[in-house]
Amino acid sequence: MIEVAGSLKRRLAVWLLVTVTGLGALLMIEAWVSSQRAAERAYDSQLEAAALTIAEAVQWEQGEPLIEVPAAALQILATRHQERVFYAVLDADGEAVSANLPFAIEPGWRERAAAEPLALTARLDGEAWRLYGREVDSAGWVSQEPVQVWVGHTRAGRMALADELFERTLTRFVAMVLLAGVLMALALRVALGPMRRLRRVLRRRDADDMRPLDARVPEEMRELAQTLDHLFARQRQSREALLRFTADASHQLKTPLAGLQSVSELALASEEPAEWRAALSAVHEGAGRTSRLAGQLLSLARLRHLGEAEAEAVAPLDLAAALRETLLDWAGREAARDHDLGLAELPAGPVWVRAEGWAIRELLGNLIDNALRYTPPGSVITLGLERLGGLEVPKGLEGGDQDRERVDEVALFVEDDGPGVAEEVRERLLRPFERGGRQDTDGSGLGLSIVDSIARRLGGRLVLAAREPHGLVVRLHLPLCDPEEAP
Amino acid sequence: MMPRRVSLSLSLLALLLVGAGVAAGQARAAATPLVVDAALDREVVAPLLDAFRAAHPEIALDFRDRSTLEVDALVAEADPAPDVVISSAMPWQMARVNQGHARRLDSPAARRWPAWAKWRDEVFGFTFEPIVMAYRLDLSRHMMPPQTHADLHTLLTTERDMLDGRVTTYSPLKSGVGYTLYQQDARYTPRFWDLVAGMGRVDAQLEGSTRAMLEGLSDGRYWLGYNLLGSYAMVWAQEHPEVIVQVPRDYSLVMMRMAFIHRDAPHPAAAEAFVDFLLGREGQRVLAGQTPLFSVRPDIVGPYTAARLRDQVGERLFPIPLNASLLAFVDPQRRAAFLERWRREFRRDVTK
Repeated sequence: MIEVAGSLKRRLAVWLLVTVTGLGALLMIEAWVSSQRAAERAYDSQLEAAALTIAEAVQWEQGEPLIEVPAAALQILATRHQERVFYAVLDADGEAVSANLPFAIEPGWRERAAAEPLALTARLDGEAWRLYGREVDSAGWVSQEPVQVWVGHTRAGRMALADELFERTLTRFVAMVLLAGVLMALALRVALGPMRRLRRVLRRRDADDMRPLDARVPEEMRELAQTLDHLFARQRQSREALLRFTADASHQLKTPLAGLQSVSELALASEEPAEWRAALSAVHEGAGRTSRLAGQLLSLARLRHLGEAEAEAVAPLDLAAALRETLLDWAGREAARDHDLGLAELPAGPVWVRAEGWAIRELLGNLIDNALRYTPPGSVITLGLERLGGLEVPKGLEGGDQDRERVDEVALFVEDDGPGVAEEVRERLLRPFERGGRQDTDGSGLGLSIVDSIARRLGGRLVLAAREPHGLVVRLHLPLCDPEEAP
Repeated sequence: MMPRRVSLSLSLLALLLVGAGVAAGQARAAATPLVVDAALDREVVAPLLDAFRAAHPEIALDFRDRSTLEVDALVAEADPAPDVVISSAMPWQMARVNQGHARRLDSPAARRWPAWAKWRDEVFGFTFEPIVMAYRLDLSRHMMPPQTHADLHTLLTTERDMLDGRVTTYSPLKSGVGYTLYQQDARYTPRFWDLVAGMGRVDAQLEGSTRAMLEGLSDGRYWLGYNLLGSYAMVWAQEHPEVIVQVPRDYSLVMMRMAFIHRDAPHPAAAEAFVDFLLGREGQRVLAGQTPLFSVRPDIVGPYTAARLRDQVGERLFPIPLNASLLAFVDPQRRAAFLERWRREFRRDVTK
């Protein structure tokens, strides 16, 4: 099922937005602080100029500082923003020699201004003021005491300048973000181009076109394209297998049905009840074979279908008991009359595997049936179990040596001393309708195929081997399980 | 003179109050009071006040005509504070604004007001009054009447005996306007001090107001007056043909009446309406047409406008700049030093 979880574009946009917002906030804080600082610097130099102009006008007369405040200093202080202005000339005791506003200059400020020129912001008379003070050495005939010049103005100009500077930075930033956004959108469009091309290629394909892809993709999409190719290849294979199976099955069913038809036609043409009877029994036998064939086909189809579905958790099963039971069942049958059907010595105790009872019975049945069918009468057929300890398999994908885990296996074998199967044919035996080149039996060639399907389902594997001096061993390896373990 | 003026003012006030009361009674029962403290002669400004009352019948205008120093003192001391403060003592008005006594006016008229005639959008120079010399016709029978500052200086030197005791000018100590004018004169040329010395030589009489000088001229006590408010002098000359007004031909200072709304105005809305009216088209048209105060607005047409005055007098008009430099004039040490120098120069040749 395809679940659409968000869009790449939106995800990128969100990341971009988060980055831009975060960085932007920091940038804006920095810009705000620095524009404030720049404005303060710019206007503080005005204060300094005004203070120097006033300091220049300080003169001493009879031991008293005398100051004629220069009009220019006041205009410098007022700036073009027409600030309220303040000036004061203080003597060494902090007494105002001349001041236009009754602002009290704190002793702490005076001490600091004595050391070096001091600029500070203070709230006076219900308004924020920027003050600047510096000490002026002055030599008179009577007194050589220093005086302090303090000037100040309100902050409208500073705020206007800071706002202006900040606004400019903000404008530049917003323009940059918008431009970057547009470029990102374009870049995204270009970057997603190969994806769109691939989509078009896939959309144009016919439903039964399973050829490998023919598309140019960037490095990041190589894996996707390869996976798609693998998928196509597998689909192609399974489709071919299905077609072959269907063709084989039809063919197999067609032969006995044609036989039935010809026998019944001959019988209908005859007037002899004896021939009718012979024909009827032939039809009966043929119908039985056909029915068995159809049954096998059905079971194979069912197994394959089940194999695809989620293998549901299966309860542990004692393989030894199942083996014993099935063998007893078969030993009593008519078909086994001419063969020596026996059981090798079984391991002590139960042998637990995860498997359904019907699957094991079906599997054993097919193996036994095969052995009976393809060996001459009098052959010895032996069934048995072997515990195989110590098969190491990788634990996970990141498998180092220490990550291998040991899985105990059991091998179920069926051996006969029949003619055996040539090595080159053995491989093909697992395919449906393959009879190892034998035309002398009435088997359908589906038995081993069914067994193989069941083995795969149970997580096991089927191994065909030759037996010395002659004969065939079919071994089914199954993983053992812990009976206590909950399924 | 003072008692007469006060009684005149009182009777006028009574008349106006009655008139206003009747008008207000017809228009609305409860009128908003509005107190205006102004250093501005009621007779001169009466047409403007009438026009305001007509435009705003809902406001009961209480116009109090005072001297500049009174007006300035009342800004800080009056309780309740006046709503609007008008004065021609520009440095003092400026100092009050700098002290934070003014309230910002944000109106279309205030925004459109020329930048050179306002400060912080708090105080507005709403008149344009040239500073002139005035002489009595008698003077021209004995000598060439002065046309420039240099002429005046020459006359004070050459006609010392003839002019002795017959020259009048502002007292820098008693009058804020006079002090401001002298400060501004002194900024332009150091020869101003020679002029002061010349005044001292002829024992010039120092008056506290333009009106007093004009009255002295009409009475025949004075022949020549220096640094008179052109607005008053021109009106006076129209009614008193013996007085001639001369706009100096070298340079003529221009003084502006400055108006601001008091920060603690009890009736701020009415105060804003009043100042808005002063600055607005209507108020300025009355100013230009019916008073000699001269309108500042360039879009007003009338006999008394700054533009027309410039046309007549040329580029010799030097308005006292309405900026922070005015604050230097009220610095106590600077003022004391200036007055000291003025006294010294005034007595320079007398004591010799």
